[in-house]
Amino acid sequence: MSQPPSVLIVEPSADEREVLRTVLARRGLRIWEATAVEQGLALAREHHPDVIVLDAEEHDGDEVEARFSAASTGERSRLIVLGRMRAGRAAPGTQAIAKPYHFAPLVHKIEQLAAKAA
Amino acid sequence: MATLFVMQGRDKGKRFDLRGEGITLGRDGSNRIQLNDSEISRRHAEVRRTSEGIVLADLASSNGTFVNLEKIGERLLKNGDRVQIGRTLLLFTDADDRSSVNLAHDVDIVGLASAAAGDVEGSRILKSVSHESGSQLFAAPDPAESPWLARARSNLQVMYRTALAVSHTLDIDQLLTRILDLIFEWVETDRGCIMLVDSETEELAPAASRHRKGARPDGKMSISRTILDYVMQHKEGVLTSDARDDERWNPEGSIVKLGVREAICVPMQGRYGIVGVIYIDTYTPPGEVIQQRAANKFSEEHLKLMVAIGHQAALAVEDTSYYSAMVQAERLAAMGQTIATLSHHIKNILQGIRGGSYLIEEGLKEEDNDVVRRGWRIVEKNQERISNLVMDMLTFSKDRVPELIAGDLNATLADVVELMQSRAAETEVQLAFQRRDDLPPFQFDADLLHKAVLNVVTNAIDACEKREGARVEVSVEYEPGERFVHIVVADNGEGIAAEDLQRIFSVFESKKGSRGTGLGLPVSQKIMREHGGDIRVESTPGVGSRFYLELPTGVSSATGEPVNQTQ
Repeated sequence: MSQPPSVLIVEPSADEREVLRTVLARRGLRIWEATAVEQGLALAREHHPDVIVLDAEEHDGDEVEARFSAASTGERSRLIVLGRMRAGRAAPGTQAIAKPYHFAPLVHKIEQLAAKAA
Repeated sequence: MATLFVMQGRDKGKRFDLRGEGITLGRDGSNRIQLNDSEISRRHAEVRRTSEGIVLADLASSNGTFVNLEKIGERLLKNGDRVQIGRTLLLFTDADDRSSVNLAHDVDIVGLASAAAGDVEGSRILKSVSHESGSQLFAAPDPAESPWLARARSNLQVMYRTALAVSHTLDIDQLLTRILDLIFEWVETDRGCIMLVDSETEELAPAASRHRKGARPDGKMSISRTILDYVMQHKEGVLTSDARDDERWNPEGSIVKLGVREAICVPMQGRYGIVGVIYIDTYTPPGEVIQQRAANKFSEEHLKLMVAIGHQAALAVEDTSYYSAMVQAERLAAMGQTIATLSHHIKNILQGIRGGSYLIEEGLKEEDNDVVRRGWRIVEKNQERISNLVMDMLTFSKDRVPELIAGDLNATLADVVELMQSRAAETEVQLAFQRRDDLPPFQFDADLLHKAVLNVVTNAIDACEKREGARVEVSVEYEPGERFVHIVVADNGEGIAAEDLQRIFSVFESKKGSRGTGLGLPVSQKIMREHGGDIRVESTPGVGSRFYLELPTGVSSATGEPVNQTQ
């Protein structure tokens, strides 16, 4: 039997990690969590999650996005970047969501991408 | 209004109004002018009002008081004087209130069509001097020139240097008042007016005026539009008189009946164009005309000097305008930065509230109380964050005098520690308070001190979160007879790098990422300074930090005896 889809959450805010972890775990997804980019990159290299949710607000969005794409062998992981960037500037295949966002659509988007990967 | 403006030092940018009596300058909170400078004595100097003006007196300070680099005991202050105490440099300004008068009532520009124009338009130009000729005043002195002009020329250079020196802190009104004061010192004139070109309408508008003391104001100062137009178009200064040659000394003539009004009007030629005009006039009454058989008080030398003054004044006006614009631009930039930083914090808090609300919604939908509880805890935490942010903003933005009441320091510190215990437990940090039972009551504002300590303890917990054996300890260092009691907040957290130690008390400098607002430590520092104390830190990266919040005990440094602290 195949494993359920997996999500890596790279988010410095403990509140936001807790919200996503609680809701996504109840939907049967496997979760990895990182508070910082380097820790997240290490988890991405190790587990190649189906979806990566990356809070890039405190970082250079393009650069950090490229590093995650490379670390997670690109084709498999779908990237959702949370932060200041406008949707039009996101790289193809990357979903960009500006802050402050609503959680329901974000969770829905994660579920959609995870289902595609499965 | 007389003021002291801080040009250098920790209080840079503050302006102190010198109205009233008994104004002392010093380091502690009992002074009306409290300066945050460790090289300043507790009570360092005093400002006294005398019949001659405002006097600054040193109060036997340790490091002395200096005016224009000269050590003083007592000194009558003049406009533009620089006062140095400790590492703080202050500029004294004393502009009188003439500039606040509505000049539209004093000055009238009259044209040919005006009914009141007759007398003024009756004036004719006797001499004109170009801006270039006026500027020759600065060339090598002519041995034949009068001592008066030589002295005036040297004064003129002093004026420009002075104007430049003070223009960075004065507004245009003060500068123009000072220029008129200097003109009245050098030229025997009855009335003077400076008109500046309005940047929007490009019309001349009166900006400052003055009458000689004792001179009859003689109603409105009427200035001929024809003369103004001539000065503006030809960029030349003119000397005019309403005396008529043909019937000059005829007992029936107008001079003898009405006296003579002479005027000098010069352009204020700046670097890029004319910024305005200076107009002065003088009136010789009929009796004097007959007695002296001479109607002219103004000469070509006066005109040349005024042209040169016009140029120097224009340069000073341009510099002041430029400086004002620069300050305004800096203010707008700082405001923009503040709004961006606050928006960022509020956005993060909003995100937390949305997250908590979403969890509550999910929990209610699935009737899972555990999820509801988690959501509610996140909402509560973020309510607390926004409440703290607002309180910090209010504390930081307002200058206030602490309400000093004799209180139990142990009780306030115990409150802080109790309040923070749940946060410490959440983050697995041991938070302890070492109570001192031998403390006398100290004078402090309990609410403010609570806030100051709370911010430091919050930071300490955040600094050692997730570290092995994380511990924060609050204690008190006190020796009877000492001037300060120290509240010590020590942590074994990550420590602060040497290069960051200077910045941690700067507003919006936070090393805590999205958790920090960058207001906590500046607010604590402000509160301690408002109490006449301060805050300092010792830190070793990787080992931990010790914050010392210094609170005055009310003991005099000289006698070791308690003193009455004023509020």
